Amino acid sequence: MKILIAEDEQQLAHVLSTAMTASGYQVEVVNNGQEAVAAAQKNAYDVIIMDIMMPVKTGLEALKEIRATGNRTYIMMLTAMGEEDDRVTGLDAGADDYLTKPFSLKELLARLRSRQRRNDDYGTDIIEFGDLTLDGNDQSLQSHNSISLTNKESRLLQYFILNANKELPVNELLNHVWDEEEQADQEDLWINICYLRQKLHAIQSKVVITGEKEGPFMIAH
Amino acid sequence: MTIYGPYDQILPEILSLTTERIKRLNQQVVDNNQPKLYEHLIARVKTPESMAEKCTRKGYPVTTESALRKCRDAVGIRIVCNFIDDIERCLVQLRQADWCQIIKEKDYITNAKPNGYRSYHIIINETVPYRDVDGNKPGSFYVEIQLRTIAMDSWASLEHEMKYKHNITDAERIGRELKRCADQLASCDVQMQTIRQLINSADKEE
Repeated sequence: MKILIAEDEQQLAHVLSTAMTASGYQVEVVNNGQEAVAAAQKNAYDVIIMDIMMPVKTGLEALKEIRATGNRTYIMMLTAMGEEDDRVTGLDAGADDYLTKPFSLKELLARLRSRQRRNDDYGTDIIEFGDLTLDGNDQSLQSHNSISLTNKESRLLQYFILNANKELPVNELLNHVWDEEEQADQEDLWINICYLRQKLHAIQSKVVITGEKEGPFMIAH
Repeated sequence: MTIYGPYDQILPEILSLTTERIKRLNQQVVDNNQPKLYEHLIARVKTPESMAEKCTRKGYPVTTESALRKCRDAVGIRIVCNFIDDIERCLVQLRQADWCQIIKEKDYITNAKPNGYRSYHIIINETVPYRDVDGNKPGSFYVEIQLRTIAMDSWASLEHEMKYKHNITDAERIGRELKRCADQLASCDVQMQTIRQLINSADKEE
């Protein structure tokens, strides 16, 4: 993982950078909010760790500017003890997580590992279920034959498989597969379930998705 | 004299007769207010040269008997359909037709070839008003029929083109990409089939 640290306390920045480098991460350090915005514009990072209290531009201002450019990088804020308002403002402004100073280095490293697991797992996994192999990397589904899936079909099937043998109501599926602004409805879900059923049939899989249009739906083999 | 001997003139006759018969099956279906069975037909008689080459390759004697009896694709018809389900509808009609008997079926749609090729192949034994190699009249001739969707057909043309270009660099990668393309086209076929079914079931509810 490539990590950007924005921290004006030289000593803390040095400790963080040393510990993360030792953990195998690629680390860059900047010393104020303005430099953080510039670095985030120029380079791609997996995680940005940003102090709130910084000169030239505060972490909060930098955070807002970074998000305003459409950057969706995982951002963790470092806040001072007791500054509850800062934490709330930070999270609302688009931060993903925060740590309160003074924090334990062990905990920070554990959070980075947890983040990495998510990165590695989410959406790119190869999942097996019954006679099916779902490859999230290239959105393909394999059984006796193989066939391509659309992004929605792939996410839907992944959610089904991760929650196999549970009855899943329409709303729950809509919330997990579609983004809110897409305003998908029961009909969108139904069409995608029809696609999946036909594709399962086309590749001769024994896996079935049960349920009527009104839901709930369940996958089983 | 070619490998087909006296059948040089007759095979094209059989080809157009079979084509006419398949067109008639389609016409009956359309007359019953059902959607047409296929989009278009392609028909060909295998050239005598490639038939002779095939017999040699298979170790058969290069004779008319080999060309018409051991090989069963001297006369070939490809039925190209709009939707996957149309292939089954065609098969239903062919199984019922009194002028032919299906003697072999190979389903490369449920069992796609490893390279991604999809198609449904059948060999029919067709009764025609010509004397066959066994001296019978009406005679029996083999005809190979390939059934596939437009998407499967366009994929097969591209793959065919590639097969005969030997100067392709990194053929393995191109093969992988073609396979991926076949899966995507199969996905489109299923999607369009599903859409048609959704439209039809909505019609019935009304």
